[in-house]
Amino acid sequence: MAKTKKRKLFMKGEYFDYTTVFVILVLVCFGLVMIYSTSSYSAYIKFGDAAYFLKRQGTFALLGLACMFFVSRIDYHNYKKLTLIGYVVSVGLLLFVFLFGSEKLGAKRWIEIGPIQFQPSEIAKIVMIIFVAHMVSNCAAEIKKWKILLKVLFISAIVVGLIAMENLSTAIVTLAIVIVILFVASPKYGQFIGMGMIAAAGMGLFLALFPYRIERVKIWLAPEKYEKGFQTLQSLYAIGSGGIFGKGLGQSMQKMGFIPESHNDMIFSVICEELGLFGAICVIILFLVLIWRLMIIAANAKDLFGSLIVVGVMAHIATQVLVNIAVVTNTIPPTGVTLPFISYGGTSLVFLLIEMGIVLGVSRQIKLEQHP
Amino acid sequence: MEKNKTYNKRKIMIVAGVIFLCSILLCVRLSYLMVKRSQYYQKLALDLHQRERSIKAERGEIYDRNGVLIAANKPVCTISVIHSQIKDPNKVVKVLASELDLKEEEVRKKVEKVSSREKIKSNVEKEIGDKLREYDLAGVMIDEDYKRYYPYNELASKVIGFTGADNQGIVGLEVKYDKYLQGKPGSILTLTDARGVEIKNASEDRVEPQKGCSLYLSLDVNIQTYAQQAARKIYQTKEAKSVSMIIMNPQNGEIYAMVNWPEFDLNQPYTLMNETNQVYSSKKKQELLNQMWRNKCINDTYEPGSTFKMVTATAALEEGVVTKKDTFSCPGFRIVEDRRIRCHKTTGHGGETFEQGFMNSCNPVFMDVGARVGKEKMYENYKKLGLFKKTGIDLPGEANSIMHKLENIKAVELATMSFGQSIQITPIQLISAACTIVNGGKTITPHFGVKVVNEQTKEITTLTYEEKEHAIKKETSDQMKELLEAVVAKGGGSKAQIEGYRIGGKTATSQKLPRGNGKYISSFIGFAPANNPTVAALVLIDEPTGIYYGGTIAAPVIKEVYENILPYLGLEPEYKAGNEEKEE
Repeated sequence: MAKTKKRKLFMKGEYFDYTTVFVILVLVCFGLVMIYSTSSYSAYIKFGDAAYFLKRQGTFALLGLACMFFVSRIDYHNYKKLTLIGYVVSVGLLLFVFLFGSEKLGAKRWIEIGPIQFQPSEIAKIVMIIFVAHMVSNCAAEIKKWKILLKVLFISAIVVGLIAMENLSTAIVTLAIVIVILFVASPKYGQFIGMGMIAAAGMGLFLALFPYRIERVKIWLAPEKYEKGFQTLQSLYAIGSGGIFGKGLGQSMQKMGFIPESHNDMIFSVICEELGLFGAICVIILFLVLIWRLMIIAANAKDLFGSLIVVGVMAHIATQVLVNIAVVTNTIPPTGVTLPFISYGGTSLVFLLIEMGIVLGVSRQIKLEQHP
Repeated sequence: MEKNKTYNKRKIMIVAGVIFLCSILLCVRLSYLMVKRSQYYQKLALDLHQRERSIKAERGEIYDRNGVLIAANKPVCTISVIHSQIKDPNKVVKVLASELDLKEEEVRKKVEKVSSREKIKSNVEKEIGDKLREYDLAGVMIDEDYKRYYPYNELASKVIGFTGADNQGIVGLEVKYDKYLQGKPGSILTLTDARGVEIKNASEDRVEPQKGCSLYLSLDVNIQTYAQQAARKIYQTKEAKSVSMIIMNPQNGEIYAMVNWPEFDLNQPYTLMNETNQVYSSKKKQELLNQMWRNKCINDTYEPGSTFKMVTATAALEEGVVTKKDTFSCPGFRIVEDRRIRCHKTTGHGGETFEQGFMNSCNPVFMDVGARVGKEKMYENYKKLGLFKKTGIDLPGEANSIMHKLENIKAVELATMSFGQSIQITPIQLISAACTIVNGGKTITPHFGVKVVNEQTKEITTLTYEEKEHAIKKETSDQMKELLEAVVAKGGGSKAQIEGYRIGGKTATSQKLPRGNGKYISSFIGFAPANNPTVAALVLIDEPTGIYYGGTIAAPVIKEVYENILPYLGLEPEYKAGNEEKEE
């Protein structure tokens, strides 16, 4: 039936998930408040304008929200035609950035077109979500076969590998997205337990081969003892000095240059310092509400493709949130992952909101009569 | 189009479940960090954020006996730069170099150095600091500070002393009374950002500094000035190496003046006098500076010579081995054991009484008297007069006397000791012993410090010094006063006579060691009024050229000083001119 019917680009649905929209708006606005709180001091010193980072992020937030509402009206089945092109373009961009990208903080991750700068890895993440969802939903019946599973993994690995060249953390997040989509699509469990064991073995080998990563592990275990543990330690100072109810919004001391670029990856530690354990748990609950909504949308999506897209987005947000919080609390070795919607970063926020737009698009096609 | 199957939904639940589980684990981790470890991290963070900055306390002032300020503080500025706050380094370099009179390269080096704070110049005049403040240069800090200032420049320089860069005493009274003068530094506990820059509007704990106590001296600026002028005059006319003078109250040990000419400028203590553009090595320069700062009245010993005959006479009278009327004969020398020791008058004084021998300062008389006293009794009397120990004056670095060991004293040593040779004492030891001799027999501690006043609490600490009554008999003291008055009235000290005043005194001309090098120290010690002395004065002229007799060149110096200060101290002439003849 779907094959015969000519699809329109835009469509009106019977359902729209307002809870998700509400949670997203709260997260974005809270993020802006925290960015102002964390960056105003250093922004004033550096640019003479306390609201420098707030204004930039605010602009991107408005752009992103506009994109989100626009994208949410697009019938997500239209993306199927674009997945292959998207895949090729992503590989191209990643290769381009690897060869000609501009350096920021010692890593080549950026493409500059006039005043616009963006990280291709951000695009690659969205593309990979849709691409893998499409590929897997087309061969869902056969996914339990090792051959098919490994084929999907191999195709994904090209992109993940290219991302890993410059940004290991994003590569890990992308890989997690692919694995979660495959896990949901497949009826099996054993394969994934096997893959997990292989991954653990690979990790051990990796650490043995690259001693500089071992140093990271040592720093993680005892940040006080190493000079490079400075940042981790600063984060712990911030979190620890927050106490139960925090110092109050804007009262962080650690943002005064002790945590470098505290509006970026480490923003959660300042949230802890200013708003305390109470505030930190509230933020985690907000994310869990979002994950819960994504779970509902994924479970009730019209078809497997839509469902897997939402699963991908859910995996994306969840890994970033969990890894980010785990890093700032020194629960796992340090790696640079931003906190979705809250950390400073224009492209990251816009693409996240576009992802949310796609999810909302999926939610529009939920048939309400299926859930009496 | 594939539909969602049941297992897909189950797996979505599993994924969400894992996410929830991980979130809960992270919440547990957060609770551990933010509740259990909270205090630990809070303390570490506070250590990191808080800086203690000390505020210098203003040093206490020093006043003379009449409350005249002789060591004050003037506000100065310390100029420093904070590298991270400088916006226009070129302008900063230019302005600082021109205003502070420094080389541009020198300033540039400091401005460009990546450090949290770099001091450019300290002790900058306040006006220049204010001027710099008007430029309003970002990254330039102007801190107010105090610098010691001595309004009288070279007045009693070696006594008062000066302070170093941290306002600590370096020489003189500034060292001795440092603990009173220093005060208590205050502190500011401030929160700083990672660069060490203080955070504005952050609450700060401030402990105010406490200004040091004021010190009141027995020194009198006017007497010191008179004495200094007299010392300078004789220093110049006799082209002497140096001139030392002590003027004090023999009754209680208060010192009115202590001169060590040439004095140096206390406001420029590191500038060598008679600067000849000569460049010295730092070691040599330090040596010369130490020499310049040296207070010869207390730091150096010398052979006192004839002034020490006071001590021998006191011992003899104390032991009752001689009376004023006992007669002696002086052929111009005495043979002691195998040595022929001459009198200064080589032709001899002939027959004379003890009193005449004292007035004539006749060496053979004192050799005889010394022999009569004997070495044990002599040393007992030295001890009574405090000649074996430091006087305890409130100045650093006091030297002690150099005496023979009792068992080493033979007839020759006893003979030479009797007229002040072969032993060495400091000028302050001599005048202290002399004070005991003329004040009725009481030992005193010479001193400058009278009281210490805490200006905030108005608490006054009166400084007390050791005194001992009846160290020698009053009768001995009375006889000594008569003898000493006779020296000035009719003997070798006649050049110290002042119309209308009764002056006592004793002259000395000591040969400097090694003997026979033609270098002398001429000295005179005087008392007024002779019958009840309240002003004792000692002058030492080191290496005068030309005539070097103490009675000829040193006595007039004391006369000149007395003429000025006796009326100043309220001592009226006791008799009019013309009555003098009758008195005699």
